[in-house]
Amino acid sequence: MWTIIRDLIRYNIEFAIGAMLVGIIVIFSLLSFFSPYAPNDIYVVFPDQPPSAAFWFGTNSRGQDMFWNLTFAFRNTLFFGIMVAVLSRIISITVGLLAGYLGGWVDRSMMFVNDIFVALPIFPILILFYFVLRSDLNMFTLALIMAGLGWPFDARLIRSVAIGLRHREFTRHAVFAGMSPAKIMFEEHLPYVMPIVFSTAMANMIWSIGFEVTLGVLGFTNLNVPTIGTTLYWANNHSAMVVGTWWWIIIPVALIIATFLGLFLLAVSMNEYIDPRSRLRRMGGE
Amino acid sequence: MRNVTTLLASLGLAASLFSAPVLAQEDGAVPQTDFPREETLIVHNPEPAATNPSMFNLWVAGGGGNVSNGLQQLMMDTLWYIDPDAGLDGAIYNSLASDLWQYNDDFTEMTVNLREGITWSDGEPFTADDVVFTVETQMANPGLAWSAILSENVESVEAVDDHTVHFTLSQPNARFHSIFSVRWNALWIMPEHVFAEVEDPLSYDFNEPVGLGPYTLHSFDPNGFWYIWEKRDDWENTTVAQYGEPGPQYVIYRSIPAIDNRLIDMVNGDLDMIHDLTPEGMFSLVEQSETSRGWFPGFPYAHPDPTLPMLIFNTQNELFSDKRVRWALALMLDARQISMASYRGAATLSAIAIPPTGTHPADYHAPMEEWLVNYELDLGNGETIQPYNPNTGAEIADMVRPQFEDVPTDEAAIKTAFGYGWWKQDIEAATALLESAGFTKQGNQWMTPDGAPFAFTLKTFEEGVINRMGTMVAQQWSQQGVQVTPEVAPQIFGQDLPLGEYEVATAWSIETWGGHPDLSFFLDSWHSDFVVEPGERQPSRNWQRWEHPELDALIERMRVTEFDSEDNLQIGREFVELMVEEMPVIPVMSYNVFSAYDTRYWTGFPTAEENPYANIVTNWANSRYILTQLEPAGAE
Amino acid sequence: MPSFILFAFKRFLQLAAVIFAGTSLAFVVAKLSPISPVETIIGRVTNRASMSPTAIQSLRETYTELFGLDIPLWQQYLNFWGRLFTGDFGPSLVAYPTPAIDLILLALPWTVGLLTVAVILTWIIGNLLGGLAGYYQNSRLLKAVGVVAIGIQPIPYYIVAFLMVIIFGYLWPVLPISGGFAMNVRPGFTPQFVLSILHHAILPASSLVLVGMGTWFFGMRALVSNIVTEDYVTYAELAGVEQRKIVSSYVMRNAIVPQLTALAMALGGIFSGTIITEQVFAYPGLGTLLIRAVNGGDTTLVLAVSCISVIAVATAIFIVDLLHPFLDPRVRVG
Repeated sequence: MWTIIRDLIRYNIEFAIGAMLVGIIVIFSLLSFFSPYAPNDIYVVFPDQPPSAAFWFGTNSRGQDMFWNLTFAFRNTLFFGIMVAVLSRIISITVGLLAGYLGGWVDRSMMFVNDIFVALPIFPILILFYFVLRSDLNMFTLALIMAGLGWPFDARLIRSVAIGLRHREFTRHAVFAGMSPAKIMFEEHLPYVMPIVFSTAMANMIWSIGFEVTLGVLGFTNLNVPTIGTTLYWANNHSAMVVGTWWWIIIPVALIIATFLGLFLLAVSMNEYIDPRSRLRRMGGE
Repeated sequence: MRNVTTLLASLGLAASLFSAPVLAQEDGAVPQTDFPREETLIVHNPEPAATNPSMFNLWVAGGGGNVSNGLQQLMMDTLWYIDPDAGLDGAIYNSLASDLWQYNDDFTEMTVNLREGITWSDGEPFTADDVVFTVETQMANPGLAWSAILSENVESVEAVDDHTVHFTLSQPNARFHSIFSVRWNALWIMPEHVFAEVEDPLSYDFNEPVGLGPYTLHSFDPNGFWYIWEKRDDWENTTVAQYGEPGPQYVIYRSIPAIDNRLIDMVNGDLDMIHDLTPEGMFSLVEQSETSRGWFPGFPYAHPDPTLPMLIFNTQNELFSDKRVRWALALMLDARQISMASYRGAATLSAIAIPPTGTHPADYHAPMEEWLVNYELDLGNGETIQPYNPNTGAEIADMVRPQFEDVPTDEAAIKTAFGYGWWKQDIEAATALLESAGFTKQGNQWMTPDGAPFAFTLKTFEEGVINRMGTMVAQQWSQQGVQVTPEVAPQIFGQDLPLGEYEVATAWSIETWGGHPDLSFFLDSWHSDFVVEPGERQPSRNWQRWEHPELDALIERMRVTEFDSEDNLQIGREFVELMVEEMPVIPVMSYNVFSAYDTRYWTGFPTAEENPYANIVTNWANSRYILTQLEPAGAE
Repeated sequence: MPSFILFAFKRFLQLAAVIFAGTSLAFVVAKLSPISPVETIIGRVTNRASMSPTAIQSLRETYTELFGLDIPLWQQYLNFWGRLFTGDFGPSLVAYPTPAIDLILLALPWTVGLLTVAVILTWIIGNLLGGLAGYYQNSRLLKAVGVVAIGIQPIPYYIVAFLMVIIFGYLWPVLPISGGFAMNVRPGFTPQFVLSILHHAILPASSLVLVGMGTWFFGMRALVSNIVTEDYVTYAELAGVEQRKIVSSYVMRNAIVPQLTALAMALGGIFSGTIITEQVFAYPGLGTLLIRAVNGGDTTLVLAVSCISVIAVATAIFIVDLLHPFLDPRVRVG
């Protein structure tokens, strides 16, 4: 595993940049544990101050220090994204491997359910959930809902790989050797789909964080939790765009771009790793 | 290149779909009107685009049509208007009525004389039969908005002659006329000759509307974003004619949901009146556009509406049934910080349960200040304090002066803009009060008499200044050891307050006429007759579900006291004293609306400093009088 | 070919099941909403009047019956299906008694019009640039496009849309920032009206194109760069086939199949509206209608919008599945 990462960093500039960007954001969000202010307190500093030596990211119209406030926002948003990614990966791996390896009616019924989920209009459903749950819609619940909606495409992808694996020599050997299907799936096949799992996880995080931002901007999440979405909601609520407190918008947007870019580059470079042909082309030096 | 063919085909499909809206519209032959800016007033309507754009039957509750899109301001009319500000000729306007309401001695009958020579927009004369028809139709159809209150009050109604209406009431009510007196809205008179033909007034859409106001419907967006009104040729046959000819030939009301677009539109000259901005948006607008201004010429800009944002205790909740607890929570607050956090200092504070707006400061705040200064609060441990600080308004003015220009320095102007005093933050007194109520403090956490942590949620609006106020209050209470979580409630007036699904909320249960000291507008509904059991739906507006024998006595007295009398004012002042004593709600400030207008194309708008003749907040039906004072800016 | 008919029949069964499951889910979730339409309307009726609790109770009964909410949930569910087959969703509750379908038909043309154009333009531009970038991997210009696309992709759509309002409505006010058409134009089959619609659609549509392009760009670039290494492309190159022909017939044509599938799904997805576009540009459409319906506890309208959305996506997938064997000869009907 470590050698793979080392190879990636050495030969793949995209992976290196992506890892660096994501690393910076993670460290930034961890700083929240050292914040001198509670995340939701307002009017703790003088409002509307542009970035300066005292306030690196400026202060907003609610009298919050944007630097520390954003550490909380990124911590919550990243945590949310990771949670959705992990949960939805679990579902998609399970469904994909089972459907791909077992085939037959298991495959058909699973893909049937899969297609129902693909056809669901996600945004209206999320809004419906908000109005049903209201303030009970905390980050955890939202992550569960998003995970429940965010697996079907990737499950299909994993299934297609698993179908291929089923006909490979080593699978037949394993069957003859008397390995149980569960063991075959999770010990023999899982490692083969792991690269896909990782690269789709990155894409999934971009997807779920994008929805969080959208819901937040519209005010359809728990507004008491600082996230990127609620940060932008409050900025909008104080007309930040037109009154000149640009740092309230530009800085979180720049950081979220860095995050997405990082995740995107990681996903792309892992995709290339999966597909050895393009990796060879790259390493062969073009 | 088969791909290109596919692409072209998809483009063709797209183009045809794109023109689909054309198919959805009807009539095409109407000539195009350009609306020359010197003849057109463009007004922002705070309602979102109408869900059911062609619905004009505003007597139906929940028909999905818009109301403050010009319909109620420009086309509707009723007997009287009571202005939230000074009015053109006093706050009370006789509109369709030719003089004031006349009650018999025991307030069981009311007689109204109607103006002559008024016509409907289709030329039919307006008569007493229209008024009688309106009342009877409302009473006969429970789905109509005014049905219930009329059914409870009216025994019978008859047209004595073409211009006299006589009501017999089912119980004494000296405030019956308020049903026909516009404060934001009122019961609008229905055209009998139109509605008599209609089988079911509940499902009738009233498109084209027929009204008594000086304008008629010109056209509207089939998607409900804008409504355009044109001045009637016979505007002289309407009730506003006595104040002059309305200036604009056309008035356009637009829904502009994105708050920043309002500012952009005004800076670009595409909008003359904005209903509301954020405080920050207002500061930025006056900086960018020389012709734009708010109610006040400088800071704090906003128009104080006769509405009183407050902290409402659910007094049926055991935690808040003790007035010592309510007082203690009030004394934990720092009003200056609340004003800064909510309105950036542009709040008009009020320590008493009366909005500090319109003529109220002269009737209540100023004359009662001495009583407030001397007011002694019993802390329950043998000590008393004088909790009132008469200088809070001035202190806030000092705080914002370095940041803004034009902050008033004159004491009277400061009081108009920032309010009179408020309660001092007095943690010691709060501690004494809570302890005498059986609460104990463990570390920095207050415990209830039952030994549980003193913790609750504070429901607040999802945006705007009230949200900020709620967040700040929750923070201040939490700092003092009461664990308060702010929670946004998007349906606070529709759901949380009436159903009692809250512990403490930021909202309001006090709204007044503004231009008149009478308090019946909200106070009548505070009678204990209307208070329901926990879990049931509380009728508006006693959201705090508070009962008190003295309160009932005051209300019963008011029901048989002349509207325009010294006695009525006295009832109001006694109410204020009772509220201070009991603190069932913590009054905070008036609802200041950051309304703005632009004088690039029109002049003659009301101003706070010189001519406060009307409320500039555009969705009030009372704002129709502004139109009679407007002149094109290029006229001089 | 009977095998195709069997395949189509199977897919159709699946379509029906997907629609059934999707709409049922929407029904259940909508009914779980804590906002009662009856309470909402009572709130409006009692706004001014101090009604006695008994009067409120009778009002509540009137409306509960009027809205058809006085019967058990399973019966409401059956009624819902009974009506659905006739295209009737029942009366909207926030605009009672206007049929929900009327409100939808009012908003639908705008959503479909704007989004169809935007989605197709996005698809064409994204795929064209992506395909070229995949083939001409050394072009600096196309690399630059890639960098820009990567940069725009992660910006929350709301920000992009709002920046366009600021730029073209405020800093350099040349384009209308709100509404579907100009106020002085009367709707009708007139050139002015059509032009006005196009004029007002420029900003919302281009914001959607800008944000949506990246996905197609990267997808197509990846597909093409894989195909470029296929043997038949190499042979074609060696055989001296014109490069333009290689790009269009050999490379793009093969890469376009999965992209067409995805396009169909994107087109199906437009029926849920674009709430943010509509909010930022005050543009009429289904998204805003949905929000208002949810806010007002209008289960009929929420259900109607959700159902149309589910049906549209499911049908799009169905059609793509049926067409797939014809588009891509490598797929054999099984």
